[in-house]
Amino acid sequence: MKNEKNKIQSFVNGFRGDFVMTRRSFMKKATAATSTAVVLGGLKPSLKALAAAGEVSSGEMGEWKASTCQGCTSWCSKQVYVIDGRAVKVRGNPNSKVNNGEGCPRSHLGLQQVYDPDRIKTPMKRTNPKKGRNEDPKFVPISWDEALNTIADKIMELRKNNETHKYMLMRGRYSYMRDVLYDRMTKIIGSPNNISHSAICAEAEKFGPYYTEGYWNYRQYDVTNSRYILIWGADPVAANRQVSYYSSVWGDVIGKATIAVVEPRLSATAAKADIWLPIKPGQDGALAAAIAHVILTEGLWYREFVGDFIDGQNRFVADQEVNEEDFEEKYTHGLVKWWNLELKDKTVAWAAERTGLPADQIQHVAVEYAKATPHCISWVGGGPVMQVRGAYTSMICHALNGLTGGVDNVGGTLQSNKEYTKKFPKPNDYMDDIAKKGKKHEKIDQRGRLEFPALKKGKPGSAVVTNNAADGILNSDPMEIKVAIGYMNNFAFSCGQPERWERALSKIPFLVHITTNASEFSWFSDILLPDTHHMFEKWGYVKSIGNGYRHVTLMQPIVKPVWDYKIDETEIPWLIAEKLAERGFDNLLRHYKEYKDPETGKAPTNEKEFALYALKYATQNLWNPSQYKGGDKFNGWEEFLKIGVWNSDPYHYREHWGNMKTKTKKFEFYSETLKAALEMHAEKHNTTVDHVLEVCQYQARGERAFVPHYEEPFIAGDEKEFQFIFVDHKSRLNREGRTPNCSWYYEFKDVDPGDEIWEDVAKINPLDAQKLGIESGDEIKISSETGSLTCKAKLWEGVRPGTVAKCYGQGHWAYGTLAAKEFGKVPRGGSNNDVIPAVYDRLSGSTVRHAGTRVKIEKV
Amino acid sequence: MPRYAMVIDLQRCVGCGACSIACRNENNVPEGIYWSNKITETVGTFPNVRYHYIPTLCNHCEYAPCVRGCPTKAMHKLDNGITMHDPKKCIGCKYCEFNCPYGVIYFNWKEPHQFWKNNKVLFKGGTSSPREEVEKVGAEKTPYFNPERGATLPANRPKGVVEKCTFCDHRVSKGLLPTCVEACPANARIFGDIKDPDSDVAKLLGKFRPFRLREQLGTNPHIFYIRDFNPAQYRPTKGGI
Repeated sequence: MKNEKNKIQSFVNGFRGDFVMTRRSFMKKATAATSTAVVLGGLKPSLKALAAAGEVSSGEMGEWKASTCQGCTSWCSKQVYVIDGRAVKVRGNPNSKVNNGEGCPRSHLGLQQVYDPDRIKTPMKRTNPKKGRNEDPKFVPISWDEALNTIADKIMELRKNNETHKYMLMRGRYSYMRDVLYDRMTKIIGSPNNISHSAICAEAEKFGPYYTEGYWNYRQYDVTNSRYILIWGADPVAANRQVSYYSSVWGDVIGKATIAVVEPRLSATAAKADIWLPIKPGQDGALAAAIAHVILTEGLWYREFVGDFIDGQNRFVADQEVNEEDFEEKYTHGLVKWWNLELKDKTVAWAAERTGLPADQIQHVAVEYAKATPHCISWVGGGPVMQVRGAYTSMICHALNGLTGGVDNVGGTLQSNKEYTKKFPKPNDYMDDIAKKGKKHEKIDQRGRLEFPALKKGKPGSAVVTNNAADGILNSDPMEIKVAIGYMNNFAFSCGQPERWERALSKIPFLVHITTNASEFSWFSDILLPDTHHMFEKWGYVKSIGNGYRHVTLMQPIVKPVWDYKIDETEIPWLIAEKLAERGFDNLLRHYKEYKDPETGKAPTNEKEFALYALKYATQNLWNPSQYKGGDKFNGWEEFLKIGVWNSDPYHYREHWGNMKTKTKKFEFYSETLKAALEMHAEKHNTTVDHVLEVCQYQARGERAFVPHYEEPFIAGDEKEFQFIFVDHKSRLNREGRTPNCSWYYEFKDVDPGDEIWEDVAKINPLDAQKLGIESGDEIKISSETGSLTCKAKLWEGVRPGTVAKCYGQGHWAYGTLAAKEFGKVPRGGSNNDVIPAVYDRLSGSTVRHAGTRVKIEKV
Repeated sequence: MPRYAMVIDLQRCVGCGACSIACRNENNVPEGIYWSNKITETVGTFPNVRYHYIPTLCNHCEYAPCVRGCPTKAMHKLDNGITMHDPKKCIGCKYCEFNCPYGVIYFNWKEPHQFWKNNKVLFKGGTSSPREEVEKVGAEKTPYFNPERGATLPANRPKGVVEKCTFCDHRVSKGLLPTCVEACPANARIFGDIKDPDSDVAKLLGKFRPFRLREQLGTNPHIFYIRDFNPAQYRPTKGGI
């Protein structure tokens, strides 16, 4: 491998001389060329049409079948090329208006996942009763029958002893069939403890949009109509979300819009951007505040959305308070309050000091961004917000969209289109007294306690605090967990400070893992159930937004299963329900029998029928012409299945203006919505909002708590001992941390700027490396207060001095023979989470993964 | 007879590598061999840094040094311009590999796809060995083996011969685009007949000033690059002394 790399490198040098010359002379003409992007955009469809026509001709051995990729949460509609029941290739589904037939690099790796020999092919049970990181579980194969009987016995024991609240369900990657297992089964058994992974994903990203425009979700961005795109820690051409769509239009977008990327590491998107703002980690709020300050003092806000001073004279002058009565707002609420409480002294010079960015650059970005109003975007990614105090950064970065009128507007940031899928039947009639009583208990993640407001959609204690469930289990607080099931999750790898999960999972007397591969989570389990792969073997559907559309895309079993896998969200709960019924508790099975085939009215009689009927039930408004509500129209189930995707009607701009789901129905610069939520939480705990904020480690007090504002970053580790801030980022080849058992992952790892093939590298600025005496290729140890990892050093200019950047994904000590250096014992590379402490953005419940810790670097 | 060529629009390219992974998939390319590849460069010093990406593949040169140096005519030109290889005639001398100025020809030192011959099992009875997986799936050498590659070339090339990009001749002959073109999510690759003035390739070459890799060597490569990976705007300046 090394030889190949050297070979390439020597050729690079050979090319460089003449290549650079050519490119320079070419660049002179490049400005004239940008306007041709539209022409280029028109070329490919005709070629594609040609290809499509060709593909029905002879010589094709297989058939393209529709499915869905969940490698990242873009959730693209796909087609899989199947020859004799075998998956051979993957491409984008041309019928989707979200991903428009385009794919991405990571989708292809699905092939190496579905045929991974390390997938568990049959249920297994643990034979070593001792649990721990150093205890080999000694798994042995068992039959499905034995596995299911054991699970049912354990659940019945809880029911018998009136302790059903000690049952727990942990959810990882899901489809919208999730409620069958996650919600209905947990409720009917009688437990409050269904714990999703959402808070290790990006809940803080939803916080800002909710408490300004009343929208708790990811946004879509109208990039092709945009003139300025300001990106905060998102990497749209590489990682979440709609990578395929953004990749397909990015060449046009960068020709038309100015792109500024705020991130301490040179990301794939930053590589193609006009401006890279390598900010000091955690200081994004300062930059956003200064941009808002400039927009107001220079009078650049969008008056048609925000309104104006009654006499038209701009009174926003640095350090001066403004009279609220002097300004008349249109579709916004509290602009002057925001100015007086937060923005008036947030000058460019003030921000320059904190962010490490030159003042004139901040000024220039702010002015150019605002000049593009309303066709400009402030794009909030996970980077600046999945931090302690990230909730307010989420608000202040998103609030810029209010000032520019880019919210819900052409070339701006958009909400979701309407879709018409149906909820599953309600469980209430099947919840007996034990279940009702059990469900009333507090949840194991302790959400809603004083220190965990977790304010999803304005409701205290409504957001999951995934990573804290480990502490709940460890301390048996609020309850002991006796029986737990996890599916397609790997909290012992994917959560910060995973060592807590290792101990927590070891403590659970009976743990079941539904998984494709024996992962770190599996290591502590008593029973492993082999799961299907979503793209090739599962019935399900997901919904996703992008390109001004929403699609609902199906996943279906399209290959011959190699081994005895069963579907996590439907078949397995049905089979458990059957076993429970055999034991005299048939409520769950009776409930599942309500999921009737909408075509025949027939109730399911086995797990396979159930999986299919449940999907048909949920999607019936999309495919049944007599229930048509909008978007694409089908003549029935078969046609829908063949096409594989339903598209919504196109987006209607500005429909939410004056009709937002906030307290005032307006875009709130002074968030009455957050105020109500915080006051509700304080009241619940008989205290003040200030006290809540103090306990939750926020700096704001008084009225400032209700406006988007800057908070100083809260980063663990003493600056003297731990000199570097750790920067975690994602890979364009990650399928949520599950591809490190695929050889293609390593063979192409250098598609992530700065990374190397077959290595796990930490990228260090050469200036820093020189001080430490470290060179590229050196084995290094990175340690924080809570853990350490070892990996290779890579000296790279694309990293801010004082930080060290490392891609998430490698460092598995289980998962497979390739993923681990020595399975069960030694990791390949280092896992970022081993140095990231379990800390939270408590208002959103999110687990911190960015700017969470300082680290030291030592040569090994 | 067409003369096939490819235009790569660097402004559209996002540097994702989907072309290379899809190529590996389509052509059953073994580990360590890259029919489709890239040149990357990080230029500048913090904070003025950019990263650039140039996709590479066989240039299907008009005057191909690999063809000229091949003692057995295993490496040869097709009438449509594709530089093709016949492993049956290949004696594994690697002259083509040394003669190629672009480093896109690879020698098969080993039987391909060794990994999948392995009999090791992670959990006895609970997981399968790579070999068992391939057999159970009913494929050849890898479970996701693409038999369609076999139409014009051994679907898996044997040990002791060279291999390289063929512009997906097996697809092109059926009226399909090369896989890297099809799989590019950014539509950065445009394929077609350079002799046909109405082809998209010809139109683009008439619009932009293209560059080719190592043009001065006189190989007349048929991969043309247009525009720039990063067409960033910047504030006008005259610099300073």
